[in-house]
Amino acid sequence: MKVSTKGRYALEIAADLAMHSDSEHRESLKNIARRRDLSEKYLERIVKMLCRAGIVSSARGARGGYCLAKDAREITLLEILEASEGELAPVPCLTRETDCGIECGQCPTREVWGEMWEIIKKTAGEVTVADLQSQAPSQIQI
Amino acid sequence: MRLSTKGRYGLRALVDLAAHEEGEAVSLARTAQRQKLSLNYLEQVFGMLRRAGIVAGVKGSNGGFRLTRDMDEITVKEVLEALEGKFSIVDESDKDTQDPVQSALSALLWDEIDRRVDHFLQEKTLGSLVREYRRNLDKDAAADHSWGDNPVSTYQKRTQRRTERKATE
Repeated sequence: MKVSTKGRYALEIAADLAMHSDSEHRESLKNIARRRDLSEKYLERIVKMLCRAGIVSSARGARGGYCLAKDAREITLLEILEASEGELAPVPCLTRETDCGIECGQCPTREVWGEMWEIIKKTAGEVTVADLQSQAPSQIQI
Repeated sequence: MRLSTKGRYGLRALVDLAAHEEGEAVSLARTAQRQKLSLNYLEQVFGMLRRAGIVAGVKGSNGGFRLTRDMDEITVKEVLEALEGKFSIVDESDKDTQDPVQSALSALLWDEIDRRVDHFLQEKTLGSLVREYRRNLDKDAAADHSWGDNPVSTYQKRTQRRTERKATE
């Protein structure tokens, strides 16, 4: 059970935008890609998902680019993961109907996976992009 | 983000086995039947649980598997680790400690999730899952009875009706 590159890069993009842009000074995908050492093409796909979810805003034109759509203190890491990862649940049956052969009410393990999922969501919901931003500089010296 | 079928089906089958154990070995075929899982697959999975010292194989006509310890002494953590390896939400090799953003993510998110999930799985015992499972089965049996004195599922009723229809045709 792992978070995919989509979710991880989405978090990095949000943190990067918090540090290098605001609504007056938007940032280009090219610069983000260079700083994060990631492919611009792939980042574009992820940024689109973040735009759709109302986490990132984009503008065209000479002064165009990207910035966070809200205050970094109001964006939780859970929101970003939910917007970018296809599926956050540890087992598929927690979010949709599956054909596993038995009834959910008689499943010996469904509750364990549900509780595990709640822990993951709760932890990611407690941290904001602003927390990442203030933690990041202190890590530079390491 | 997904657990593999080994962890999902393995734990499910182990709870079933423990719930039906009562001091004797349980045949894996019966567990496979009850849980609608492939016997072949369960044999592989129980091989892993046996090597991890969680179950022991019993030979003979009443053979099968039994737990090696009291079910309250077996944690979900050790079962999952035997089947899936240690839980971690991202691969260690994907963490770059030189990068400030990734280091911040590890400290505030990934390591924190791993720590909390690990603690949860360590506290959760097979015994608690078995008791919960039995309660759910009792609840379902009671609900079935309230619909009449014959506790058969809709599926069974339909199959029965289909067979009857075929017989009269």
